[in-house]
Amino acid sequence: MDIGQRLKIAREATGYTQEKVFELTGIGKSSLSAYEHNYREPRFSDLSRLAEIYRKSIEFFLTDQPITTEMMLWRERPIDAGVAKETEARFTQLCEQYRKLEKLTGEVKEVELPRIDIKADQFTYRKANFLAEKVQKEFGLGEIPSASLKQMLEEKYHVKIFNLSFPGSAISRLSPTFGPAILLNKDSKLWRRNFDLAHELFHILTWHIFRIKDTTNAEPAEGEEQFANAFASRLLLPTDIVKNRIEFAINERHEVSFEALDEIAREFGVSLDALMWRLLYLYNKPAEQIEKYIAHAKNIMDNLPHRKSDEPEELPERYCRLAIKALREGKLSLMRFAKYMEISYKLAQEYLTEDEEFKDEKISISVA
Amino acid sequence: MKKFRFLLLDAGPIIKLFELGIWEKFIERCDVTISSTVAVEAKWASQEYKDVKINLDTYKEKIKIIETELSLASTFYTKLPNTYKDDVEVQDGEVQTLAFLCDSSLDWRLCSADHVVFRILGLLGKGEQGRSLEEMLKEVGLQTRIRWDKITPRDEDWKYTKKFREKWTFEGQKDFIQGQGAL
Repeated sequence: MDIGQRLKIAREATGYTQEKVFELTGIGKSSLSAYEHNYREPRFSDLSRLAEIYRKSIEFFLTDQPITTEMMLWRERPIDAGVAKETEARFTQLCEQYRKLEKLTGEVKEVELPRIDIKADQFTYRKANFLAEKVQKEFGLGEIPSASLKQMLEEKYHVKIFNLSFPGSAISRLSPTFGPAILLNKDSKLWRRNFDLAHELFHILTWHIFRIKDTTNAEPAEGEEQFANAFASRLLLPTDIVKNRIEFAINERHEVSFEALDEIAREFGVSLDALMWRLLYLYNKPAEQIEKYIAHAKNIMDNLPHRKSDEPEELPERYCRLAIKALREGKLSLMRFAKYMEISYKLAQEYLTEDEEFKDEKISISVA
Repeated sequence: MKKFRFLLLDAGPIIKLFELGIWEKFIERCDVTISSTVAVEAKWASQEYKDVKINLDTYKEKIKIIETELSLASTFYTKLPNTYKDDVEVQDGEVQTLAFLCDSSLDWRLCSADHVVFRILGLLGKGEQGRSLEEMLKEVGLQTRIRWDKITPRDEDWKYTKKFREKWTFEGQKDFIQGQGAL
């Protein structure tokens, strides 16, 4: 594939028109068109500018490697296709950079996630529950799964998890190039992100079941979404532990107040709504009744102090650690490091100072 | 007659020269050449500096900004051994500058403050063409407030020193000897 085709594909992948490219780079429509149709070869500086806004490395345009389009699964895809494409391009860039860092530091490890083998049409809520139990057990998530799920996925299973501001809830993908990856919405509340993470994890674990046909960006069917919700609910709210908490909170009138339920929801890092839907399964409550409870709870909870969320970092801790390691080992240039870390060049320089003492035997810990 | 006729500058030293307030003097004493992408990157990189505003377009009469053919970069990539492609990652401006230097038959010097640039020069057997800012300033006789002999690897100015350049050039030369850079 020639450079012109690559430029066109890269531009379309970001959802940019030629006018938009002109706005961002100052490269005129006629020049861009000439580049895309191979009438003229771009100058190096033009290609560098285009690579930057298309979120691709310059090497991408100079190699003969075939281009593959990978499927991304959206939760609440925005109506504006351009915005969706821009988000996907940024997510892809971060995942590619992450994989590059793994390669630079020799830390590419394919870790197998728990798996269930069954055909899509045979999948049931029971299977979703079974898968959640399997994950909980294999991950060793303990009593409060939301507290350690993200860390476990990132550090042990090397799932690439980013938090960005974008219109939509979450995206998951299972790439043959860089493995499993999840994008969460930075602006969502902590409990919502916890649920989205578990929900997207379901899609990754069942990718081989529901995504047999390689149709790009196929939306999950409603049934699959419900299985994903059931999985997330079961994973974050383990049956026996949640039941114990609820029974402990029952008052003398054999009822549990919304405030008490809210406390439990906080403890498990989920929303009150998510906990109440879990009651549907735990106590066989009809869905209509749960809906009424949720509406009623909303009125009461609006008058109570709001729960505090957090402000998550956009880049994963492991990603940053690998970037610093690559910089210090002389594998990543300073300017590139700044771009990877999305920090200024000035700030990046602080990471380059070398401290010989860290290599000193005297402060190494002997385990012999 | 200027001291250096064939001097390429990377973004790091450009910013430092502006920061030290000796850019004008420096370009009076050297024939400075900068790749077009480095010029853009230097402008971007200087944004966070309080008193440094870099717009190299205003010096077009005094310095040379070069544009290069894409084929130069492709050739440069093919010169890097496959193992090394997965082992180093540099910014586009550095690729353009290194590609230009490797293609030219003239005896260029490349003044950088980036360890990977020096490492690649060492690997490609062009270590003697690398220069630190410390060496450049001494060679053209420009005094600054920096006490070069007092700088340690913990200091921010470490990357402008001769020792820094030597250390990372040697790393590249080691890679070459160990077979990573067999061209």
